[in-house]
Amino acid sequence: MAAKNELFPGTLDMLVLRVLSRGELHGWGITNKLEQLSKSALQVDEGSLYPALYRMEEKGWIEAEWKMTENSRRAKYYTLTRAGRKQLETEHASWDRMSAIIALVMHSA
Amino acid sequence: MTLLRCIARRLRHLFRRRQSEAEMLEEMRFHLEQRAADFAAEGLPEEEARYAAQKKFGNVGSLQERARETWGWGWLERAFKDFRLALRQLTGNPGFTLLAILTLGLGIGANTAMFSTIDLVLFKPLPYPDGDRLLRIYRATSQNRDGHFSPADFLDFQRAKAGYGDVAAYTLVNASLSEAGRPAEFALADRINANLFSLLGVRPQLGRAFRPEEEAPGRDRVVILSQRVWRNRYDKQPDIIGRTIRIDGEQHKVVGVMPETFNDWRHLGGVDFFRPLAFTLEQAADRRGAILRVLVRRAPARSQAEVTGFVADLGARQAADFPEVNAETSWRAAPLQSTVTARNAWPMFLMMLALSGLVLLIACSNLANLLLARTMARAREFAVRAALGASRTQLLRPLVAESLLLALAGGVCAVFLANWFLDYMSMRSIGDNGEAIVLQLGWAVFGWAFAASLGTAVAFGLAPALFALRLDLNHTLKSGGRGTTGGRGHQRFRQVLIVGQFAVAMTLLAAAGVEVRGLHELNNRRSGWESEKLVTGTILLPAAQYSDAEKIAAFHRLALERLAALPGVASASISSFTPFFSWTDTRKFVVESRDRPPRGHEPAAVVNGVSPGYFDAYGTRVLAGRAFTERDTAAASKVYIISELTARALFGSENPIGRRLAQADGDNPLWGEIVGVVRDVEPAVSDVNPVTSQVYQPMAQQPRRQNEIAVRTTGLAPSTLIDRIRATMAELDPDLPVRMLQTADVTIDRANYQTAIGRDIFTGMALLGLGLASLGIYGIIARTMAQRTGEFAIRLALGATLGNITRLVLTSGVKLALVGSILGLFGAIGTCRLLASLNPGLHLDSPLVLVGTTLLLVAVALVACWIPARRAGKIDAMQVLRAE
Repeated sequence: MAAKNELFPGTLDMLVLRVLSRGELHGWGITNKLEQLSKSALQVDEGSLYPALYRMEEKGWIEAEWKMTENSRRAKYYTLTRAGRKQLETEHASWDRMSAIIALVMHSA
Repeated sequence: MTLLRCIARRLRHLFRRRQSEAEMLEEMRFHLEQRAADFAAEGLPEEEARYAAQKKFGNVGSLQERARETWGWGWLERAFKDFRLALRQLTGNPGFTLLAILTLGLGIGANTAMFSTIDLVLFKPLPYPDGDRLLRIYRATSQNRDGHFSPADFLDFQRAKAGYGDVAAYTLVNASLSEAGRPAEFALADRINANLFSLLGVRPQLGRAFRPEEEAPGRDRVVILSQRVWRNRYDKQPDIIGRTIRIDGEQHKVVGVMPETFNDWRHLGGVDFFRPLAFTLEQAADRRGAILRVLVRRAPARSQAEVTGFVADLGARQAADFPEVNAETSWRAAPLQSTVTARNAWPMFLMMLALSGLVLLIACSNLANLLLARTMARAREFAVRAALGASRTQLLRPLVAESLLLALAGGVCAVFLANWFLDYMSMRSIGDNGEAIVLQLGWAVFGWAFAASLGTAVAFGLAPALFALRLDLNHTLKSGGRGTTGGRGHQRFRQVLIVGQFAVAMTLLAAAGVEVRGLHELNNRRSGWESEKLVTGTILLPAAQYSDAEKIAAFHRLALERLAALPGVASASISSFTPFFSWTDTRKFVVESRDRPPRGHEPAAVVNGVSPGYFDAYGTRVLAGRAFTERDTAAASKVYIISELTARALFGSENPIGRRLAQADGDNPLWGEIVGVVRDVEPAVSDVNPVTSQVYQPMAQQPRRQNEIAVRTTGLAPSTLIDRIRATMAELDPDLPVRMLQTADVTIDRANYQTAIGRDIFTGMALLGLGLASLGIYGIIARTMAQRTGEFAIRLALGATLGNITRLVLTSGVKLALVGSILGLFGAIGTCRLLASLNPGLHLDSPLVLVGTTLLLVAVALVACWIPARRAGKIDAMQVLRAE
């Protein structure tokens, strides 16, 4: 398995929040979206999405609801809560800050 | 999300587990199907598409596990599993479990019983609101640190107290309670100031308190009953208020009944009823009769130190103003709560707590040994599990669970034991009128029992196991995992435990030994008199019928005549006191034709008024001169008989017969001639000072209404006379109550019940300690036997006899016991010294006890070792060696 494109620890939450910030999605949808947005570059055990989802649900960042898909299948749809939105902002900001710092160090002569 | 919603969600996960699980499964399945469909769309065959989807998804089981963790109940599930495992482990080994629980329960139980007793006796507040503002005031004299007040001194105090708080006095007197058609009852009356109840902050449950105007002679014929008398004698009749009852032969109106909570056994617990305190003018001016107990409720504005200082100053002023009675007195104040228990209660209780701590220590070391052995036996299991990847925490969790379960069971045992002990205390202390020490288990005690149990189980059960585990995991696997390795370190550790146990047991046994001996000595102390064939009892002549000395004397003459005429009676007497209880009537004396000491500093002696026949009845030898006779009446010239000690103190080597004494009362002494010298008598109760100077007067010249009767039989069993004596007294006067009519031996025995409780406590703890210690040594010898079977088999094969082996085992055990006992001697000697100093009334120093204790301990150790050592005989050398 290509280890080079594995996620940094802790970043999965941020990515999921980001994906959900565009509107409600079910787990499968989130996976698809991630794949799409990353242009299939990310290597994730797809299943590990679910513990992350439950964890964020416990923390109150996202909420879940069972709904019908367009193909009339039951699926659990997740939406961002206000707390989730805030969390995304903080994480995003600190990610930007951190990557800037890392870049600064790494690109220095 | 609010906290509430978070909790609600978690609870939903907990209680609707199945639904949550199903939803999770459905969600994952949906994902897998979608992914498989994707792959299928790319052209993979269905089977392979599903497989690829799963591969991409990851391990479903472990993901589910991780998801469940986020629901927050993982720990609960794990704990549940751990406990189930622990329970299975414990029930799978019932012998070990029972032993551990019992050890823990007995050890903690002894401790809990002591703790709860201390809590209930010393710390539980008296049932008075704002009780910390209540003070008891004492008038300390040279003879008695806790002396009472005379009416005149009290009235001075009451007048001077302005601004310091409320003051009230009361005095406890015996009284007869009688109605037509019922036997008279010997009751304890409390004559109180009208404001005593309000000072204490209590009010009657029925009726009313006393009014100030009822504190006058003639208007004081009102009575408030205690709950106990109302219940026992009047069946809780609600119409009791307003009825009249006979007290000391006179009609009194019942105006109130006190609530159950009021008669706390530690303060006023023995009181049967209350009456107003009423003084005649003459009584109010009395500065000699110290009868009043004084209480103060300090004003909130005044500090305790201020009140104490004020009381001390006032006492000093009284001493200066009235030197003839107060020269040697001082006043002091003490918080009421601190005064309700005996002076030596604190150190005694602490000592008992300490000794129960020693029992616990033995129990703990046994427990440590037990659990250590058990952990060692399972060492292989642990080693394998560790090797298979179980983390340290995972290994330890079931052990912790086991400890917790043991602690819980042990705690339950302990509470039962403590409860049983408190019941025993109540039962042992029931007095003639149903008053008793009442101790009830409180929450604090439950808390203590379980906290101590938990602490013990963890500290002494888990910690050694942990220690052993850390040392041994690798070693166990390497050594082929025979399970029972237990290296040299463990062996040494266990031996130290055994030595310690025996040292502690030695201390416990010695304490019990001296207590047993001390009480035995006390109960059999017949110093200066003889108790065989002797019946004694207390009577009370109702004041109404026996209003003057003549009537009292007439009754005494008649009663003595009738008693002496009973068949089988050798002699009978009536006196103020018995030789076996302390005499409370202290007087000061002057000797004729001697310089009079400064006022208030005359020599003091205790005085007993006795009838003719007293010295015969009690068997006190007259050493010189004569005993009293019928001719020593009130009208005849005053006479005295003195004890040896008094004779020595007052006259040295001179002959006292014919010399004259007088009480140091007024300026005109009433001289009385000394007609005899008798032996000293020593009380057979522990709460008194050693022998004091004793002086006897004829009862006729010193009449009292409360008397001790004594009847010596010619040879009959004394108990057969009791009913006839009671009948004779009832015939003489139906209003006359008789109390404690029984053989003198029984009376003494009952009077010493507190010492007996102490002895029983010490004995119980010693037996517990001894039992646990012998269990411990038995255990270690049995283990040694098991471990060394192979070695013994070799020895046998090489020609050792069974006797050699048995001796080897025995010596190794007894050596430990002996070393422990000898080390314990230090503790034992210290404990005995301490006990002796705390109980000066008991003769507690006895080297014999120490020798006996050591022998007993070694004997017990011998038996405990011999039982497992016997098994040496069952070793079949060939079989054992072949098995190797």
